Amino acid sequence: MSDKVVGGKCSACGAVSYPRRAVCPKCRNETFENVSIEGEGTVLTYTDVYALAIDYETRYLRLAIVELDSGQRATGQLLADDPKLGMRIKTTIGVVRKPGEKPIMGLQFVPA
Amino acid sequence: MKPVYIAGAGMTKFGRADWSLIRLASEASRSALHHAALGEIPVDGVVVANMGAARVNKQTALGSALVDQLALYPAMAEAVENGPASGASAFKVGCQAIAAEMADVVLVTGVERMRVVNGLEGTDFVASLSHPEVEYIYGVTLPSLAGMFARLVMDRFGIERKHLAMVAIKNHSNATKNPYAHIQQAVTMEGILTAPEAIVNNPPIAEPLHMFDCCPVSDGAAAVVLVSEEVAAKLDGSTVRVAGIGQATDTHAVHEREDPTDLKAVRLASERAFAMAGLAPADVDVAELHDAFTILEIAESEAAGFFGRGEGHLALERGETALDGRLPINPSGGLKAKGHPVGATGVAQLVELTWQLRGEAEGRQVKAAKVAYACNFGGFGNNVVATVLRREAR
Repeated sequence: MSDKVVGGKCSACGAVSYPRRAVCPKCRNETFENVSIEGEGTVLTYTDVYALAIDYETRYLRLAIVELDSGQRATGQLLADDPKLGMRIKTTIGVVRKPGEKPIMGLQFVPA
Repeated sequence: MKPVYIAGAGMTKFGRADWSLIRLASEASRSALHHAALGEIPVDGVVVANMGAARVNKQTALGSALVDQLALYPAMAEAVENGPASGASAFKVGCQAIAAEMADVVLVTGVERMRVVNGLEGTDFVASLSHPEVEYIYGVTLPSLAGMFARLVMDRFGIERKHLAMVAIKNHSNATKNPYAHIQQAVTMEGILTAPEAIVNNPPIAEPLHMFDCCPVSDGAAAVVLVSEEVAAKLDGSTVRVAGIGQATDTHAVHEREDPTDLKAVRLASERAFAMAGLAPADVDVAELHDAFTILEIAESEAAGFFGRGEGHLALERGETALDGRLPINPSGGLKAKGHPVGATGVAQLVELTWQLRGEAEGRQVKAAKVAYACNFGGFGNNVVATVLRREAR
């Protein structure tokens, strides 16, 4: 994972799995093409979580599940000062976790 | 399936334990075995439920370790790991052994000793059940999934923070009557919500959930002794029958669920358990639900079929789920106040319900309880085991 986050588009029925998986849940086909999870959408729900896992030095993390205009849903970090249900966002890629020296890149959502 | 009975049940007090992991497991097991009063009847199998020992306690092969501690060789033995539903999964495996006539007596023991690590490490160990690529890497923890679920459900059904507080107040009150509970302290609406100092007493954990919406981190163990019909007939106390077990799974990542407010696996597991038992939710006299977060007790009470969609908080508000209500939920104090030693929880729910059905629950006894239901919620609802127990006349 570097400059984009990918899901798997079923080569038979076109349904997108994110996360990617071995078998399409819609049609049970087993071949996929990578498709980028990106674009604009809305915040389905969010939280400020203070019960953090290891690898974080902040006091809390603002996490969200968003629904992209493509219909795809994704979980990621919400970089917005005044979050609201249904607010418009767009995806970006940034450092989402830093276990040791090597940062992990992933989805962040910023106001659209 | 061939009939399976619970002959005995026991547990340790939940909380912070000085005992080793295996000592905890063996104390709960001894208590259940004494309760069963098997006499000369041998134990054929041991199933241990645990989630984190490999990581947190650096110990594996817990089935073998417990057999050795209790000198039950050459009994069959294994450990079952199914996240927070490990307990009911192990119980299911024990029932299957008896139903398949591979055993007549099986000891099922759930155990977790997770307070040996600090909070961050403990939260991270439980978070490792989330999807590694699309959830965990973002800092997702169980409280965060519960917080996002709560915000959505509360918005959709008009549930307020006072309703969540009512779950905590009820379960803390029940736990004051349970000597095995981790937290035996009553809480009030003023103390955790309405007084000016409530924000200090009850800080946010994962908005909109606060500290008193979340279960504590506990050590503890719980055990039941399962027996075949043939053995049950020889034992005076074994009148509690395993009437039905249902299990169902859902997508690993929460965001993939068509309706993220629908606890589909709870619904399906419960339907299967009731169908197997030939009973309906309306037949249930007492229930133990998996209230790792207060919002889950409300949502599970609907998904299990006790109340209509969006009506769980209203039934709670009317007192229907109180100890003296129409359907007492979590008389033990629930995960919220009894505590949540993850691998032990599913077994502990069935220990409480066994005591309830036998009329042995003392100060928190639900009157004339004949049918009981438990929901053990694994993952964030992606693997759920529901169990229905029934007292039989002997």
